[in-house]
Amino acid sequence: MVVVPEFLIKRIYQKGSLKKLDEGASVVLKNVLGPGFISGFNYVKINDTVYESKDVKFITNGQEISGTEVSEANPIAFRLGQSGTLVMSGKSSVVDGANKIFIEAMNPEAGKVCLSVEDIV
Amino acid sequence: MEVTYDKYSLMIDGKRVFIKSGAFHYFRTPGEKMARDRFQKMKSGGYNTVDLYFNWNYHSKKQGEYDFSGIKDVRKVLQAAKDTGLFVIARPGPFINAEVNAGGLPFWLLNDKDVIPRNRVGTEYRYSPKYMEYIKEWYDQIIPIIKEFDNVILFQIENEYATDTMEEDYMRQLYKMARERGITCPIFHNDAYFAGLWADCVDIYALDLYPFINPNQNWKQDNFCFDTLDNVEDIFRSSKQDSPPFIAEMQSGWFDKWDGMGYKYLRDTLGDEHINIMTKTALSQGVTLFNHYMAVGGTNWDDLACDEVYTSYEFCAPIDEFGVMQSNYFKAKEINYFFDSFDLTCTEPKEFDFFQENIYLKLRHDNINDCDWLFIRNMNPNDTEINLPFEKSVTLKPYDMKICPLNLKLYGCEIEFSDAEIFARLKNETTETIFFIAGKNANLHIKDRCTISGNRKDFDNYTFEQNGKTTRIVFLTKETSDKTWFLKDKLIFNADYVLPNSAVALEKNTEIAYYDIKYGFSKKNYLVNEFNKDYKKPKRMKISNVQFSSPEIDVDYDYSDWTSLDTTGCTLNDEFVWYKSKIPDYLTEITLSARHLFAVYINGKEVLNRNSYKIEKLQEVPETISIPLDKKNLNKPFNELTILVQNLGFDKGFSGDANSPRGLVLFETTPSIPVEFRVKEKLSIERGDKRESDNPYLTRITVDFDLDLKENVFCAHYISFEDFRCRRATIFLNGVKIGRYIKRTHVQDKFYLINEFLKPHNTLEIVVWEKDRNVKSSWGFKFDMKNVKILLGTFKKYQLFK
Repeated sequence: MVVVPEFLIKRIYQKGSLKKLDEGASVVLKNVLGPGFISGFNYVKINDTVYESKDVKFITNGQEISGTEVSEANPIAFRLGQSGTLVMSGKSSVVDGANKIFIEAMNPEAGKVCLSVEDIV
Repeated sequence: MEVTYDKYSLMIDGKRVFIKSGAFHYFRTPGEKMARDRFQKMKSGGYNTVDLYFNWNYHSKKQGEYDFSGIKDVRKVLQAAKDTGLFVIARPGPFINAEVNAGGLPFWLLNDKDVIPRNRVGTEYRYSPKYMEYIKEWYDQIIPIIKEFDNVILFQIENEYATDTMEEDYMRQLYKMARERGITCPIFHNDAYFAGLWADCVDIYALDLYPFINPNQNWKQDNFCFDTLDNVEDIFRSSKQDSPPFIAEMQSGWFDKWDGMGYKYLRDTLGDEHINIMTKTALSQGVTLFNHYMAVGGTNWDDLACDEVYTSYEFCAPIDEFGVMQSNYFKAKEINYFFDSFDLTCTEPKEFDFFQENIYLKLRHDNINDCDWLFIRNMNPNDTEINLPFEKSVTLKPYDMKICPLNLKLYGCEIEFSDAEIFARLKNETTETIFFIAGKNANLHIKDRCTISGNRKDFDNYTFEQNGKTTRIVFLTKETSDKTWFLKDKLIFNADYVLPNSAVALEKNTEIAYYDIKYGFSKKNYLVNEFNKDYKKPKRMKISNVQFSSPEIDVDYDYSDWTSLDTTGCTLNDEFVWYKSKIPDYLTEITLSARHLFAVYINGKEVLNRNSYKIEKLQEVPETISIPLDKKNLNKPFNELTILVQNLGFDKGFSGDANSPRGLVLFETTPSIPVEFRVKEKLSIERGDKRESDNPYLTRITVDFDLDLKENVFCAHYISFEDFRCRRATIFLNGVKIGRYIKRTHVQDKFYLINEFLKPHNTLEIVVWEKDRNVKSSWGFKFDMKNVKILLGTFKKYQLFK
């Protein structure tokens, strides 16, 4: 299993992309590491609010994919240089100022991939 | 030998050299003779360098003790490389991964609680002074040997290393340690994340590239897997300006795992297309140093394997585990010969405006040959016509890639453009012969002269002359080019293979053709009359003896001299570890966890037999099991408890838990009482105890067989099982453990009889470890074992003519 160091995973997060939505939030991810697949969005946590897989959708290449549709059997391609917007809905979580963001996703080669960043709104 | 470099290439004694390297594991292909055989085959396939990992664990079983004798004599391996004319890339770790047990870290190091292997826990950096001290011990042993050989051109520190905070102390100290011990060649590290990691701590920045690591992935369909490779020149240039692009591990195969899909599936999936695309795309990105990982497959004999992999480490390598060249070898040979024909060590990318769906196209200007090279790749699933901006078109097969010359000035003419690919060139001062690979849709455009269709038969030829110089163009079909061998000043046709000393290897009677510039073509007949025509048909082996072989499980077995163990953690690291103790009759339950396969016996009777090796989401899942006990099991006041654990190996260390325990890792009783175990490593056969046991749980099947081993014949033998119902077996050849069989996986059905361990008269011993429920009666089981079908097969047999 390839263990990817945290500082490299953080590069996927587009700094300043956190947006406050009505009953939700969105962030932008850009693959700057290498071509690969996402085989699951386990959950997203913004500050103390947890969004389960069903509350998450990923919009990339003009397609909208629900977190529950992404699995080991149905991974989504995430090319080098490709961007996507991760939208969390159902609960408010973003506060003015600094926000703590934690994303737990799955990759067929690296297993669990955790991204932990702070972003300001 | 002085090794320098600039941004284009390595220079050896001032001369630019294109490094065409392949990885070889001397520990998986043991002995000087086998190393020489594989090196010669590499050299014949156009490789000029061999990459050698040095496996610390293989040489050091106890702290302070090192074994470089017999088959572990690395001087002989290095000498064999030198004698064959190969440069060496030395990679002594200390950590090497390589899917070896504990990633090559010695077991004694893992047992030292003050040591933090690789100075990290997970990805968190934690400096361990004691670990650093032990590395000095290893470097003090291995570097003086490496230093004896002036064909070592590159030296690697650590392996695919990264931490969250990227402190540089560890890498800088390794660099310093190597220099202090006399390493003078450039030092590099292989960055697995292609993120410019450690570029400032080494001389040459290098990275590893494996676009296909998930067997479930269809790399042809998901062709974006080459995205990184397609942009790798930018990564190199932004990481380190003044060093040449170096792919320290460039995928030429992949390893299979327990519960994997098998090597046949992987080979079929990768095909020849993958190595072709990898190598040519790398060149299109200005790479002048590559290392095919692996060039040669190997065998996880003894306890070499990490827990992930089974006995065969065939790796879909160009030269397989048995030393037989596979179809990707011939593709690699074709590309390597091209690099020998034209020096592409100093090229620049050239802007080129082009887009076509699923077509990769790159143009480079060649400063040495003063021409351009066009690299074209078709990732469409069908033949595709590609219209080039300079009014030429090319039709490429699906997943094919070509290197095409543009404005290439030759002795007697100039190639304006050709999509018939160059195979090899022979030349003297006035005459050159260039061999092209024929292709139905290919064309060779000769400037101001003609266009020659590449739809040609073998040896169709054309001659061009100008200014007293001659260029002869000769076509070879792909089939013939596979059997064509380029040796410095001549080509040899129609041979199965040719060694660098011109020895020709043949499977059957053959007419061999030779070509050199001065004398042209000549022919010679070779008669191979020694081989029985049906040598490939496996033959059933006669079983000479069947004997129950687990006296340790028998009641009243004397284990008083075994080592006392006060905790369950395992400081013994052999594949098999026995645990014995006595437990009282009032226990109602025992709870245990063991890695990986284990069985529990009470008073000589099996109460549990389990394979606990389980991987979920790429991580090993520990398993804890409780066994209820009653008076039926515990029929004495104090009952004999025997546990046998088979450890499949330690994690290779990627995830940093290389020192997680193996063997019996947890043992509890209900009610809770202290249980003191006595432990012993190895199966009784390995300890020389060949007593027959009363119990049938481990059964040894012995087969004696003779082989006619000839100096001038290359043979690759194997054994396989037919209708073999047993669940597990360990295979010994002349006392050496050469294989692990686990029925559940079905991934390996043939076991290589490693040439190094073969003798004219051989003894094969197969220790079967069976479940109680499959043992109907001792007598019946023994009868079944006597009728097990073990087959002796021969993959390949070549006669060598010097």
